[in-house]
Amino acid sequence: MNSLILLIPISLAMGAIGVVVFLWTLRSDQYEDLSGDAERILYAEDRPIVPKDQNTARKHKETAR
Amino acid sequence: MPPLRARHGTDGLKNFKNNIISCERKPSPHPSERYDAVPSLTPETPQLIALSAPSIRCGSCVAMIEKTLRELPQIDAVRVNLTNRRIEIRTLRQDSDLDGILSVLARIGHPATLIDAADQQDTGKDAIGSAMLRAIAVAGFGAMNVMLLSVSVWSGADGAMRGLFHVLSAMIAVPIVAYSGRFFLISAWTALRSGRMNMDVPIALALVMALGLSLFETLRNGEDVFFDAALTLTFFLLIGRYLDHRMRCRARNAMAGLSKLSVKTALEVRTGGQVHPVAAADILPDMVLRIPAGERMPVDVRVLRGSTDLDRALVTGESLPISAAPGDEIEAGAMNLTGPIDVLALRHVSDSFVADMTRMLATAEEGRGRYVRIADRVSRIYAPLIHILAASTFLGWVLATGDWQRSAFIAISVLIITCPCALALAVPVAHVVAAGRLMRDGILMKDGSALERLAQIDQVTFDKTGTLTQGMSMPRTNLKMETQTVAALAELAGSSTHPAARAIAESLPPPPENLGNITETPGFGVEGLLPDGRRARLGRASWVREIASEDCSGEGPAFCLEAAPMMRVPLRETLRADAEIAVAALMEAGIPCEILSGDGDGPVTRIATRLGGLNCLYELDPAGKVGRLQALAKAGHRVLMVGDGLNDTPALAAAHVSMSPASATDAGRAAADFVFLRPSLQAVPVALRLARRTARVVRQNFGLAVLYNCVAIPLAIAGYVTPLVAAIAMSSSSILVVANSLRLNSIAKSRDRSRNWRPQNEIPA
Amino acid sequence: MTQLKIAERQIAMILSGLIVLVGLVMAAAGHGDPMGAHGWIVMLFAGVVFCIVMNVLEDPEPSEDRRTSYYDDPTKVGIVIALFWAVVGMGMGVWVASQLAWPDLRFDAAWSSFGRIRPVHTSGVIFGFGGNALIATSFHVMQRTSRARLAGQVSPWFVLLGFNLFCIVAASGYLMGVTQSKEYAEPEWYADIWLVIVWIVYFVLYIRTLARRNEPHIYVANWYYLAFILVMAILHIVNNLAIPASLTGAKSYSAFSGVQDAMIQWWYGHNAVAFFLTAGFLGMLYYFLPKRAERPIYSYRLSILSFWGIVFFYIWVGSHHLHYTALPQWVQTLGMTFSVMLLIPSWASAGNALMTLNGAWHKVRDDATLRFMMVAAVFYGLSTFEGSFMAVRAVNSLSHYTDWTVGHVHSGAMGWVAMITFGSIYALVPVLWRKKTMYSWKLVEWHFWLALSGTVIYVFAMWNSGITQGLMWRTYTESGTLAYSFTDTLVAMHPYYIARAFGGALFLAGAVLAAFNVIMTIRKVPDQASQRDYPTNSEAAEPAVPAGE
Repeated sequence: MNSLILLIPISLAMGAIGVVVFLWTLRSDQYEDLSGDAERILYAEDRPIVPKDQNTARKHKETAR
Repeated sequence: MPPLRARHGTDGLKNFKNNIISCERKPSPHPSERYDAVPSLTPETPQLIALSAPSIRCGSCVAMIEKTLRELPQIDAVRVNLTNRRIEIRTLRQDSDLDGILSVLARIGHPATLIDAADQQDTGKDAIGSAMLRAIAVAGFGAMNVMLLSVSVWSGADGAMRGLFHVLSAMIAVPIVAYSGRFFLISAWTALRSGRMNMDVPIALALVMALGLSLFETLRNGEDVFFDAALTLTFFLLIGRYLDHRMRCRARNAMAGLSKLSVKTALEVRTGGQVHPVAAADILPDMVLRIPAGERMPVDVRVLRGSTDLDRALVTGESLPISAAPGDEIEAGAMNLTGPIDVLALRHVSDSFVADMTRMLATAEEGRGRYVRIADRVSRIYAPLIHILAASTFLGWVLATGDWQRSAFIAISVLIITCPCALALAVPVAHVVAAGRLMRDGILMKDGSALERLAQIDQVTFDKTGTLTQGMSMPRTNLKMETQTVAALAELAGSSTHPAARAIAESLPPPPENLGNITETPGFGVEGLLPDGRRARLGRASWVREIASEDCSGEGPAFCLEAAPMMRVPLRETLRADAEIAVAALMEAGIPCEILSGDGDGPVTRIATRLGGLNCLYELDPAGKVGRLQALAKAGHRVLMVGDGLNDTPALAAAHVSMSPASATDAGRAAADFVFLRPSLQAVPVALRLARRTARVVRQNFGLAVLYNCVAIPLAIAGYVTPLVAAIAMSSSSILVVANSLRLNSIAKSRDRSRNWRPQNEIPA
Repeated sequence: MTQLKIAERQIAMILSGLIVLVGLVMAAAGHGDPMGAHGWIVMLFAGVVFCIVMNVLEDPEPSEDRRTSYYDDPTKVGIVIALFWAVVGMGMGVWVASQLAWPDLRFDAAWSSFGRIRPVHTSGVIFGFGGNALIATSFHVMQRTSRARLAGQVSPWFVLLGFNLFCIVAASGYLMGVTQSKEYAEPEWYADIWLVIVWIVYFVLYIRTLARRNEPHIYVANWYYLAFILVMAILHIVNNLAIPASLTGAKSYSAFSGVQDAMIQWWYGHNAVAFFLTAGFLGMLYYFLPKRAERPIYSYRLSILSFWGIVFFYIWVGSHHLHYTALPQWVQTLGMTFSVMLLIPSWASAGNALMTLNGAWHKVRDDATLRFMMVAAVFYGLSTFEGSFMAVRAVNSLSHYTDWTVGHVHSGAMGWVAMITFGSIYALVPVLWRKKTMYSWKLVEWHFWLALSGTVIYVFAMWNSGITQGLMWRTYTESGTLAYSFTDTLVAMHPYYIARAFGGALFLAGAVLAAFNVIMTIRKVPDQASQRDYPTNSEAAEPAVPAGE
């Protein structure tokens, strides 16, 4: 079954990507406030948030949570 | 009046607090430190502010707060956490106007308070929890892939393909079990080393044996391997373990939220009269402190200047305030009611009254430490049993067939199939579901063992002040006065913030404004001038007597018009909401109730009578309460203690299980197993009912597990257990106990099911 | 175009110019081969884009700060194109269905034979309608949930137009007889390579937009969309590994052969169902359903859990398409086992969607848009159950190769995919074009009932037809010979085929109404500057059906 020789590693690799992504979501606190996150989309204004300070915008994501 | 709690002294309690709630958290640095890109705090560097705002309760609150704050020029970014009801703000500059932000929040209906540095520890990440989640994710990944490979083998993949799949499974399973299963392996190892037996020992043994056997089988190209069993076991058990952990952390978080509202500082009076704020922990003996009305004593003090009234309800359980004048010594925790006083600190925080409680608490705790959770009790019997079973299976097969390998295989399959997966899930899942139900009823529970202990109780003891009662009121029937006199009394009472005065004012019709020149003398009372020029006084008897024509004995504050006979206004305490119903419900369930109070004979007996003639003990100091509980325990009773004061703290810890209202002191809440957030005392019977139902469900789960083993073990001993049979048997028994535990959700529907219930708002305001 | 800076317009011109050149090379190299014709099509398509960009090259640049607004132009164009493909693809479907009932409708032309126009129908609805709708809505959802503008200005256009170029090349190729003979992967090698390029740009655009998000949390819909993009890329590449017979012709040979090829094809095929027709549209559901119902998703945690469940369980179910083939028995059993287990996360998703509506049933009653979504969730639950059931080998022995399979696919495609898409489009159009309401709520209502009755008629016809067919095929006489000839089964199925064509026609009529309604909304309904994404209760004039109607 040489097709399985191809498909098994591909599937395992896809699974591994999944685990890595899941671990990343854990690290980046994606599950801190699920009830708030579920509601947030309902009340969002229809325009982007413009970060006031461009330099710190990036850092904010990592720290201010 | 806002909820009043000791604003200090908790630092001294911190150590044992952490012992009580063993929910380990990695302390996270203060927000400004977390911002690692900031080497030094210049005004231009941003600042992170964490606020607690209990009024947040839905997505629209979140949106409104974020939108409003984002529009402030000084704020760079803002994020509201609906779960924790917190607001995190990043400002553009260090010297931002915090008061401005707070006032904006108050204006839009979300008053917030700063979460101070000490409490920031709670906002740190739950290190063990996320380690467990990581382990669950990895185990889940492994379990799924190995299950896939195993299903292939069970479906008929054979020969080289099967060998390949086994090797692949081994490569996935071994490292993952080592990584994810470490929680069980380490715990089992620790238990074994100290000669104990816990649920993790059979689990760890099954995991290790399953892996070892499977590796061996893989190497000799055997047919049956148990890699999938090892991984699914790890996965399921970790979920059970994580749920248990989560439950405790959630309760802890919720309780931490209750104490967030106090700021632990005091005001120091320096020579020259300037006043500086000082942290409670930094107060030294002989420091002069200024205690404004409405604040609590940070340490044990002696009054230097001024006189006032003190509320010692939380310290001693006395229901009526007492007055204090220069020279009087006051315990830490007593609240200054009427006038500002300057005091001399007598002791350091750690040596104050609170610290005595701490010491007593530690001793009282020891008794409870001996309680063994039901799962561990079961495993004490269960684990040796299955180990003996496996060993004798091995011996039996060796003797019967002489085939070592086959005998070992069968013996290990006995170990695997009896691995207490269902048992290890049975208890935590039931407890988690019960904790969820309790939370919806406004009751926070610290851990599962509390629920087990609550189910066992056969007696309840209540503290009186603050637990059975809440505040005071004036019985309407006792007034035999003229209308004009009543009006004067009402007006005097209405002008003071003293709790007794307030109770009087609330029981009387709003008076016309007749009195002039009303003044309050802290520690004595209120005085006003009648239209005819006579004085009227309400307050301390000795002070009122000065203008009275005739003395009068009795209880309660004194009142008189100048040159008229003095009167006493009898006050009685108001019962906490539903106190009668709750006590009656308990009595009806055959559980005797008792009052243990630090207050005097009269007030205690009155309350006992009103509640249906309860047995009561009065004028008990903290040691007396503990003594009573220990006596009851010695007589074979398992006692639930319900209390709120600082003086109840050791008793709360000494009782078999304990509850306290949300209005209790920090120390009291920390010592209690359950905290009820709603004013109603119905929480006690509600929690008890649920605890007993949970105990029943847990017993049923054990029954199911026993039943499962009765079927599975003979099969395993007879050698009929293949990995496929093991997978089906183990997962179906686990699903069965989980489903049974979920029944707790439906059978224990409470009367009040409103979804928008807000815990913080229910602290008596 | 007005939102592009001049430099970006120049990039767009260069890109389309390059593609014109590629088309020219293809036309020259593939002269006399269908590839040559495709070269001309590519040149024409890219040439038109080139001219459009050139025409506006010197127009004034956008003056405002582009970061303060979302980039909705590609979404708008995508929605309109999706509706165009809906009409074309479903029209083709009705034609194909009619050919089965009345074979004369072939008109005796080579290009109109069943084998050529059927893939035009399948690709037209799946890739043309579904794909464009997914791309358009994903642009919308990723910006809204990230609270950030798209990370590129030219790349969204490249993705959208590039994908449509692929669709056009694919559809025109089928008519010329160009096919790899792999279901849902028919286009030949050059189209496949082009799709890979487009898809990678799409993935990078998505990731870059997420990376610049101003909202720390990544909403669950994004995970579904991301899984759709990433896994489709992997599937597409693996399944289309092929050696072109020559670089100048539209013919290639698969890298795999025999049952290996079949396994790879159905590993692809069923995962396409999973990640294109399920994950992507679940992303749509998880955003537009809560928005429209104005309620948060019933259990957000469950939506995340079922995401991982679906992602995992789907990977191996493809082999249930190959029951009773040369594929080893155990691979078939594996596919069957996982197909059955797949029911758990599928029903979790469907239940989660329906529970979200619990408490908002009055809105479902009044609002046809929300009803589209609700019916979609119901059909999702039904067809995933049916799918798990049909994957069981014993059931499959009756159902496989019969019209039951066709009925199953259409209950998923019409009932779930098309319904959720139409629901999302109706929810999205007024928001995108800043309109107060749709042009006509009555037309939405008509569309709903047409679509629902069309689906039900279609599915029931195919169930009956399929089971009849399956039973007739396996009926033996006492002497052990087949009781019915193949022609007998065709005669038995004829009424069902007519019913199917009728059901499909109803569904098509609904799609035409939708296209008309959307066009009229864009052209006729007055603008409304709305603060919020969606009209609030008081403003939602559109869905309320007057009492007594």
